[in-house]
Amino acid sequence: MGNTSVSVAEFVSKLPDPDENGLLSSIDKESVENIIAEIHKAGRDGIVGLIDMLVEPGKADDVKPRYALHCLALYVCKLNDKKHRRAFAEILASQLDRGQPFDRLRAGSKQIKGYLIRQLQVAGGKEVAGAMGKFLLDEELCEYAAQALVAIGGGAAEQLRDALPKSTGKCRLTVIQNLGVVRDRKSVDALKQALGDEDRDIRLAAAWGLANIGDAGSVDVLLKAADVENPYERIKAAQACLLLAENLVAAGRLVPSPAEGTAREEWDAINLEADPSPALGAGIYAHLRDTRTDPAEQYLREVAESALAAKE
Amino acid sequence: MRKSKMEPPVRQANNRVTRRQFLKGSMGTAAALTIVPRHVLGGAGQTPPSETVGAALIGCGGRGPGTFSDLNREHKLNVTMLAQCDVRFRDRADNKTIYTDFRRVLERKDIEVVAIATPPHWHALISIAAMEAGKDVLCEKPMTRFIAEGRAVVEAQRRYKRIFQIGTYGRFGASQSRANIETHKIMKSGLLKPCKAVYINRGGFKVKEWSGKVNLRPEPVPSNLDWDMYVGPSPMKPYNPHRTGGTHRCYWDYEGGGLSDMGQHFFDPFQWIYAKDDTSPVEIEAYAPPAHPEACGMWGWVEMKYADGFTLVLDSGEWGQPYSRQEPRGVSMGDLDEKSRRSVASMPDPEPLVGFGEAVKTRKRPGGHAEAAHRCATLLHLANIAIRTGRKIRYDPVKEQIIGDEEANRLVNQPMRAPWHL
Repeated sequence: MGNTSVSVAEFVSKLPDPDENGLLSSIDKESVENIIAEIHKAGRDGIVGLIDMLVEPGKADDVKPRYALHCLALYVCKLNDKKHRRAFAEILASQLDRGQPFDRLRAGSKQIKGYLIRQLQVAGGKEVAGAMGKFLLDEELCEYAAQALVAIGGGAAEQLRDALPKSTGKCRLTVIQNLGVVRDRKSVDALKQALGDEDRDIRLAAAWGLANIGDAGSVDVLLKAADVENPYERIKAAQACLLLAENLVAAGRLVPSPAEGTAREEWDAINLEADPSPALGAGIYAHLRDTRTDPAEQYLREVAESALAAKE
Repeated sequence: MRKSKMEPPVRQANNRVTRRQFLKGSMGTAAALTIVPRHVLGGAGQTPPSETVGAALIGCGGRGPGTFSDLNREHKLNVTMLAQCDVRFRDRADNKTIYTDFRRVLERKDIEVVAIATPPHWHALISIAAMEAGKDVLCEKPMTRFIAEGRAVVEAQRRYKRIFQIGTYGRFGASQSRANIETHKIMKSGLLKPCKAVYINRGGFKVKEWSGKVNLRPEPVPSNLDWDMYVGPSPMKPYNPHRTGGTHRCYWDYEGGGLSDMGQHFFDPFQWIYAKDDTSPVEIEAYAPPAHPEACGMWGWVEMKYADGFTLVLDSGEWGQPYSRQEPRGVSMGDLDEKSRRSVASMPDPEPLVGFGEAVKTRKRPGGHAEAAHRCATLLHLANIAIRTGRKIRYDPVKEQIIGDEEANRLVNQPMRAPWHL
């Protein structure tokens, strides 16, 4: 290990120095690729050796090991054998949990952990979802963790769903939004509950999430959300309604739209028998057509009318 | 067969037509043909209030003031500036005419048009939000920071039927050339299969000028700057002035180097001439050293192949060996058989492109519409993905996804920081 660390440090030292402007302007492709291949050959010790060289931003110079770690992430993705990528990701993830401080200046490690998470966003797979899920409740790291999880995809929904009940503040907003991003149907009830949150961003994230999921049971709650007075919230909730309508219409076959003035209940009863999704979608358009009477909202009325006309 | 003088399929850095020349060569003509100036309707020296268009500028540095003044000077819209919004206005925002939060601007019912000149990581989100609020949009280039953003802008434009025009106008001038019209018709016909044309764009990408510093250190945030709002949908990073004020171009979080910054200028006319507004390349290969995770850096060339065989090459001329795989090769009627030539000759000329001002007034689709701008920006993003991953990538232009490379696909649709999302 000791010898390997020395050799990793030697390889890292051969990476190009920034020029006087801070750019890697005289970089040589082949020599960098050869150095990274050599570090990769060192296996776990090579990766951990690089991580040991990282420091908090601004505390000392770690330009080369940072660059090397990213190059290694790219390198393992380039190899045909997936086991290299997976091994890299698992070693990186294991370092998120280690007890000893990362930073040899003993100044804390959150930003270094953040950097590792971002490299997992590049090269990680579902095998590291659990390791990243632990940071969804960390105010400083929840955004990076959520971004990496949804970029990877596999295992993200479970981690986000598990984190939701315990999350607060920025983490809660991040988790709620990303449950919508990954279209987690199992979170529909939680998202509906979040529609009543006192935080406007939470309400809007939940509304969009329900729309993105395409939940047919959310029509009424989203229409109610879209009828608020606050201008921006009204705009964004109306967008969620249109997105939900599109998803519902796409989910089923097209049905005739209700005539203007037809009672919503009467029309629903006719159409729900066959295939509720498109009928509910058309119901959203009808609601927007009938409620957007302010001249400044004429464009929305026209969107709804146009969508209804397209189905006839 | 009629011979026409064809444009050489290579663009050198020193023959770029400027934004101003494009505007003078195109917008003025369109306006003169189709638009009655509103001040004429209002009588001598008078502009009726009903004939003015309420407008706002979002992103007031760099190109911002020029973009806004183009609304009147070039697009003949007779706009009145009702609001300016910039994240650097924190210490003087009054939320009446000066804002730091674009959402407050979009709430205003008296604003019909917004000009967007923020750093590009905000372009898509503000464009979409503006159209959701019923506004028409003139958005500076590059249109987006990654591919999925462009598709979302296109969908928003279609959903709300607003006018979206990208702030680069190369196609307006290019579409007036007889040679370009002929090339456009040949390519549009789809009869040239396989297409052996090779278009090489040499230089002009400002690779070194817009490369990032790899040794940035955190610095205190200036009191006038809302850093959280500046970062917006991008990953939160410590403040450093080089991440702002024009040099934002040098970082993946906000743009994509000189390639992104200049590419939409270069490939906007290319897209029109070669009829590529509704498709994208299927194979992309870059010659570049391993990319830095944050700072845009050096690259030599990028080769992109379309499904029809057409090859587009971006040759930076600023790093490594120049591109030498193929020579430029044009498109001509001579490449077609007699039946195809007759078919192309019988095609009507494309409709003249509609400028932004005319589009706002007539609700016609503008020349630099969202789909065209998105497909153009896609070229830049695909090139940068190939540079950043170091891998040859295959792309599905219909699904707009990279084929068989899950990790590369993560750059096609990048997660955003809440509350921002597509």
